[in-house]
Amino acid sequence: MTNRLSSEYSLCKKPLAAPSQRWVAYLLCVGLVACSTDTPDHSAKFFDQSYPAQPGGTLISAMPSDPSSMIGMVAGESASLAIGSYLFNSLLKYDQNLDLAGELAESWQVADDKKTITFKLKPDLQWADGKPLTSADILFTWQLITDENTHSPYASDYQLVTKAEAPDARTFIVHYSQPFAPALESWASLQVLPKHKLAGQDIRTTSFAQKPLGSHYYQLKEWRHGEYIKLEKNPKSVLGPANIDHLIERIIPDPAAQFLELMADNIDSMSMDPITYARIIPSRPALQARLNQFKELGNSYTYLGFNLKRKPFDDLRVRKAINYAIDKQEIIDGVYLGLGITIASPYKPGTRWSNPDLIPYTFDPAKAKQFLAEAGFEDTNGDGVVDRDGKKLSFEILTNLGNKQREKTAVIIQRRLKEVGIETHIRTLEWASLLTNFIKPGDFDAVVMGWGLGLDPDQYNIWHSSQQKPGQFNFIGYNNPAVDKLLEQGRLEFDPEKRMQIYHEFAKVLYEDSPLVYLSAGYGLTAIHKRVQGIMNPVPPAGVSYDSQKWYIPQPLRRTQIQAE
Amino acid sequence: MLAYLIRRVLWMIPMLIGISLISFFIMHLAPGDITSSEAAFDPKSSEESRQKLRELYHLDKPIIVQYGLWLERMVHLDFGHSFASHQKPVFWAETDKEGNTTPGMIQEALPITLLMNITGLMLTLILAVPLGVIAAKKYGRWPDRSITLFNFIGFSIPGFWLSLLLMYWLGVIHPWFPISGLHSLNYAQLDFWQKCQDLFMHLFLPVVIPAITGLAGVTMFIKNGMLDVLSQDYVTTARAKGLSDRTVTYRHALRNALLPLITLIGLSLPGLIGGSVIAETIFAIPGMGKLFYEAVMMRDFPVVMGILTIGSALTLAGNLLADLAYAWADPRLRKGVIPQR
Repeated sequence: MTNRLSSEYSLCKKPLAAPSQRWVAYLLCVGLVACSTDTPDHSAKFFDQSYPAQPGGTLISAMPSDPSSMIGMVAGESASLAIGSYLFNSLLKYDQNLDLAGELAESWQVADDKKTITFKLKPDLQWADGKPLTSADILFTWQLITDENTHSPYASDYQLVTKAEAPDARTFIVHYSQPFAPALESWASLQVLPKHKLAGQDIRTTSFAQKPLGSHYYQLKEWRHGEYIKLEKNPKSVLGPANIDHLIERIIPDPAAQFLELMADNIDSMSMDPITYARIIPSRPALQARLNQFKELGNSYTYLGFNLKRKPFDDLRVRKAINYAIDKQEIIDGVYLGLGITIASPYKPGTRWSNPDLIPYTFDPAKAKQFLAEAGFEDTNGDGVVDRDGKKLSFEILTNLGNKQREKTAVIIQRRLKEVGIETHIRTLEWASLLTNFIKPGDFDAVVMGWGLGLDPDQYNIWHSSQQKPGQFNFIGYNNPAVDKLLEQGRLEFDPEKRMQIYHEFAKVLYEDSPLVYLSAGYGLTAIHKRVQGIMNPVPPAGVSYDSQKWYIPQPLRRTQIQAE
Repeated sequence: MLAYLIRRVLWMIPMLIGISLISFFIMHLAPGDITSSEAAFDPKSSEESRQKLRELYHLDKPIIVQYGLWLERMVHLDFGHSFASHQKPVFWAETDKEGNTTPGMIQEALPITLLMNITGLMLTLILAVPLGVIAAKKYGRWPDRSITLFNFIGFSIPGFWLSLLLMYWLGVIHPWFPISGLHSLNYAQLDFWQKCQDLFMHLFLPVVIPAITGLAGVTMFIKNGMLDVLSQDYVTTARAKGLSDRTVTYRHALRNALLPLITLIGLSLPGLIGGSVIAETIFAIPGMGKLFYEAVMMRDFPVVMGILTIGSALTLAGNLLADLAYAWADPRLRKGVIPQR
């Protein structure tokens, strides 16, 4: 199930690893020859006509797993948060250029001492059942998330609020004991829940998790667990009604089955892996002609991280040598079929926070050997592996089982490191075992893993030297007072321009220090049927699904069977 | 007979406790718990909140204490609540103060899996019995050889591959069957017969494919049983009496050849609730296999233990029923001609 199509190196030349995907790829090759229905016909042109925006229609998409609950802030998993984002509003949101904007809030004010934020709500907000949405609901949601018994995984940011108050129905004020700039992001991600439905309920067992009531563009109509989720337009939406009447999320775990459903035109949209995007769809012109395909950088990257507390990774020269010895472009081309880019900072390239002056470490084996020599590593006994003080430079790379992309990345790294005389062993472990037995106790040499990041540039939890206890996220043991100071400053600074300077500097120090090797940032790939119109083109920095309430499906292009509903 | 029955049923209790103890310990031997899933590795979440969650679920207590707590609940047939799925009840539905019902996870998944597996088992038997008889009757000749070949192919083809092939052929090229899922999106609007038809169409491929790939074993079982029986003296006697071939085969021989099948069916009883992860994943069917697999991956102990407990109880019950049915079907056992096992 976790095998991803995207992991495949090449469709024709190499044996494909994930069994079900291998066969679907084979099938599709056969299908090309055998299937006569797959020639371009009038229908492609039919879908190319553009129409004015109009309400109505149904959009069917596929998602790989069923959310466990509709209260994402408590469930703490991505599927719940994703569905929740159709149902619930936040105080703030990110606009298309990833700048903060008001959602429920009309305006917000950071006090001069930066310790108090005052939100002014828009007038006449209401829940889907017509009850007014007031600052009391927001206060209630804050109390709920920070309550000990709620056990929200995201509670920590909200627990920094020393006092929250709702002096009148349209004003919400939060006080912090010291300035906390990521607070604004936290108020953009808090999904506001209705007090009149949840007051007095046990949040962990309430049936609200199955039958939610929100204020956003859609409301839940039907949920067949493990099968599909039907959302219906909320006519009372606080931001005005959306165009498309119904959204249906079908839960289809297998990417091959998702793709077959897309081919049979039973779903309108799915996210793809690189091989589907780069090889399979281009080989099927009729399918390609009725799809719009989108490519956007995700907010995540993969890396080779070192255990900095262990020798020889405490030596900057060794880290730099390894960084220069790895060909990142080769990994992107081989593992991601070119659908990724190299990075030089832990931020999405092209955004404000990414430092444009930094150039990713190049592939330079000569430089790598030079750094190794400087560090005292030489191949004294001629076995092809460099050594220092009689000890070979040899280490183990861990990665999680079932993530084919990471496994392949590790193999490519192994080969390149061997060329400069570094011996590596690869070990793949089931996720929980990797985390519990190796990452938590700090018992590893190097790992190939990834970080998925939020929109706020604060990365205190990952890099600050105080975050090294077992279970915390600075498990590589990075300890640099300069970075600590920058991270602390960044948390105190609300001005975006000044923050940008701080995080550019932070990224530069990291770059010089090379505590990990940035391998790649992959593209997110989405296919959407051409019957869905009004999608922002080009894709804005906020992603393809930004402003999806403005999407529409013109009457002539709708599915007939769904219209009957 | 009654004393035997009571003894067997009473024996099941320590067996069940033993099984649950072992599965509980094995499950907890696996590294990690609910807080160490990949989704929980989110820099926005804090270690304190994970520690609080461990305390909430008593995961910080010694394992024997955790087992005691679990056993205490099980005595009241309380399967508890899922750790992972927002405290959904593991087995029984629950109704809150306002009358909203939250269905249990096993309660939702079990009927789907039972429906799939029982129809699958029946289909297998309906096909396997005649095929096995024909193969035995025409032993060594072309019908036997072609049945063996067919079985061999069915046995060798990986189920997921056949599934994808047929999904592509019968779902995309000739859209006769739905590709995945269990219900059409407009299921709620259909009348009763349309609902039945809808369910039949959705279940056709997921039921037929495992039946074909699982046919080989049962067919061979019946074929060998028939071969054994057909060579016995009483069959020769029956033929010598001048009975028709039909009567000899079906009334005298097949009855005896089917006896071992009782054990086979008894043993497949726990398999009926097991479900297949691969088939359910490919066909996007929310059955027991997927539920169990995901619970294991998430270290969702209450769900894992719930399914294991039901599974082991059914295994024991299946064994007992098989033995009873055997005794009922075979007078030699009942009368003690063959010593009871």
